[in-house]
Amino acid sequence: MADAADEVARAGSALTRSDLLRKGTAAAFAVSMFGGLSDRALGVYGPLKFAKKELSGELRIMTWAHFVPAYDKWLDGTYAKQWGEANDVEVKIDHINNALLYGQGAAEVAAQSGHDLFWFISPPASFQKQAIPVTDLVQEVSKKVGRMARVARKSTYNPKTKQFYGFPETYAPDPVQYRRSMLQQAGVSLRTWDDVRQGAAKLKQLGHPVGLGMSNEIDSNMLLTSLLYCYGGYIQNEDNRIVIGQGANRRGAIQALQVMKEIYTNGMSDEVFAWTAASNNQAFLAGRLSVALNAISIVRSAEDSGNQALSDDTWLASIPRGPVQRLGNEHVMGVYLIWKFAKNKEAAQKYVVDQMLAYEDHFVQSKFYNFPPWTNSVEGGFKTIRSLATKDPHKPKGKYSILTTIAEKYTTNPGHPGNSTPVMDEIYNTFLIPQMFAQVAQGKSSPADAVSAFATKAQQIYRKWHNQKLV
Amino acid sequence: MTRRQTIVTYLVVVPFAIFLAFPFFFALITTFKTNLDLANVQHSPYTYNDLAGKLHWDFWNYATFEHVRFLFEDTNYPTWLLNTAIVGGAVVAITLLLALPAGYALARLAGSWGQGAGVAIFLVYLVPPTLLFLPLSRLVTQLGLKDSLWALILVYPSFTVPFATWLLMGFFKTIPPELEEAALMDGASRLKALRLIVLPVSLPGILTVVIFAFSLCVNEFIYAFTFISSSEQRTISAGIPNDLIRGDVFFWQSLMAATLIPAIPLALLYNAFLDRFIKGFTGGAFR
Repeated sequence: MADAADEVARAGSALTRSDLLRKGTAAAFAVSMFGGLSDRALGVYGPLKFAKKELSGELRIMTWAHFVPAYDKWLDGTYAKQWGEANDVEVKIDHINNALLYGQGAAEVAAQSGHDLFWFISPPASFQKQAIPVTDLVQEVSKKVGRMARVARKSTYNPKTKQFYGFPETYAPDPVQYRRSMLQQAGVSLRTWDDVRQGAAKLKQLGHPVGLGMSNEIDSNMLLTSLLYCYGGYIQNEDNRIVIGQGANRRGAIQALQVMKEIYTNGMSDEVFAWTAASNNQAFLAGRLSVALNAISIVRSAEDSGNQALSDDTWLASIPRGPVQRLGNEHVMGVYLIWKFAKNKEAAQKYVVDQMLAYEDHFVQSKFYNFPPWTNSVEGGFKTIRSLATKDPHKPKGKYSILTTIAEKYTTNPGHPGNSTPVMDEIYNTFLIPQMFAQVAQGKSSPADAVSAFATKAQQIYRKWHNQKLV
Repeated sequence: MTRRQTIVTYLVVVPFAIFLAFPFFFALITTFKTNLDLANVQHSPYTYNDLAGKLHWDFWNYATFEHVRFLFEDTNYPTWLLNTAIVGGAVVAITLLLALPAGYALARLAGSWGQGAGVAIFLVYLVPPTLLFLPLSRLVTQLGLKDSLWALILVYPSFTVPFATWLLMGFFKTIPPELEEAALMDGASRLKALRLIVLPVSLPGILTVVIFAFSLCVNEFIYAFTFISSSEQRTISAGIPNDLIRGDVFFWQSLMAATLIPAIPLALLYNAFLDRFIKGFTGGAFR
């Protein structure tokens, strides 16, 4: 064997002077001609592309098209680019419309191929078997910046598997947005749901009805579940068992359905049964609605439209109080899943952790839409968040500071007081909650019958996921 | 046509034409509206208004090109247009390559079972993409075509070829077989007869297939959305709703511009070949 190796070495070194000149000239020519392509080559000459070598390859991220285009531009062009350069990873972020995220996620699962990191707009618990647990990442961030916010923990932790199935990236509080002049003119308050019930007719008479959706879309899901909380009509309990058909929960749900029916009958029109997630934005910005529940996309769009009068007249408030409490769902719970079939899990894990360790830019660049799941990932926590929000230049001054109060005190997860389970995920994705409310509002069902029918369907969904050992 | 008939014809056609042209007009006006003008429901949506809501037809003083600029400079719209043209062109070529011989064979050579086979092929066209996109997604991935225009070039013929075959089969049946028989008698091969006799006569049918297949490619959404996730690889049908509807905010003016721009050349194309298009569609109707 040694002889053979020596033979090869000798053959390799048998270079005549003319060979040397010929090969050297050819090499010099090649380098001078094709040096410009060096960044595409495997790379022998020139400096390494990036300084560090812990990670490598490409990191593909799928996320929503943020309603603030400037945020996406910053995320893609500045944040991700800089992170990629610092970590020797090529980051590629794709954005899609939020309504299409679940379909795209399902397609990637079917193909067992796609992005490394996939962002969902609400807790994607039904995909958890397709994702790697991220408990270690959650612990790593918690060690560095402190405790995770309850809304984020309950949205991404599965007590059955005792794992965090997803990494919370952001959440958005869900304030009431209202036209102050209209409410003053009608003498209507938004302090309690009973105030809304009584004031809805007056606002409709002014030609500016209340806009609360009862349609197959995310805004309706979030709003109507919040209404159930305010009346104590929980769908599931702390142990994630379906309880809406029982005792105080049933009574609370029936009351909530009755109140919504009255608000609809006195203060809304039947368009709310066919709304998309954008409909309340459009009706509000057109000057027609007096009240809507949404994240801050309405008020920010009013500012961007250049309609100063509308913008100045659009105020924010906490969700109205019910007989039991004042509590609402988050509007958006951004959760990253790292697919089991992801090609670059290491880079995905580092990306989400690094993003969370310095979140202030994300909060500011998103115009206060993206709240941090770890409050202290913005240094100073809610104190800094409130201070930043208060400095917003739009009138009335300090109107965004209410977001901090809502986030701190009145925001919870889908499935409260339990976790955001696959059961809740399926209930949301099949829009059973808006359908229950619509049935009652349209007079097709009594509140009691609607709650019973809903509870039966929810139990069936629960059994399905219980059999899969996920609840 | 008498004067009376002409008047009646115009009385029927003109309102119909206005009705059909209205969406284009509305899109055109909206494209150049300022946000302030668009958002105010007191303003007329059919013209341009100043801050006080006063109407203005001299739109160059009250309109804005900002949303068209946004479309072309801040999104990948030009790339989407190019991608659509590439995919459409390739799919049309593949469709003709497969559907022409298939349609001819079913019309001329398949005997009594040709008609049944034609209907069976057409039925394939009716299977909805909403059922097929999940399994096809796996196939596309296994072939390494995900996030590439080749995925669409491969998949789109699955619905253009069956329809085109069925359409051309009907059209070929309208052509008298004696024309080819004469050519065959004169020593031409079957292929030569097809190329020199049948195809020139079938031009309306072929044009119909070209326009129809191209339109299907432009309109298709589910495959375009599922198989391609990079903005710069998208076609217009997936790119526009993805990048111009952000969260629950619609960029209306840019959306209108984005849909209007490809609609105009397609409308002109349809118009230019309207007679042949109708002939192509109705070619097999009376056989």
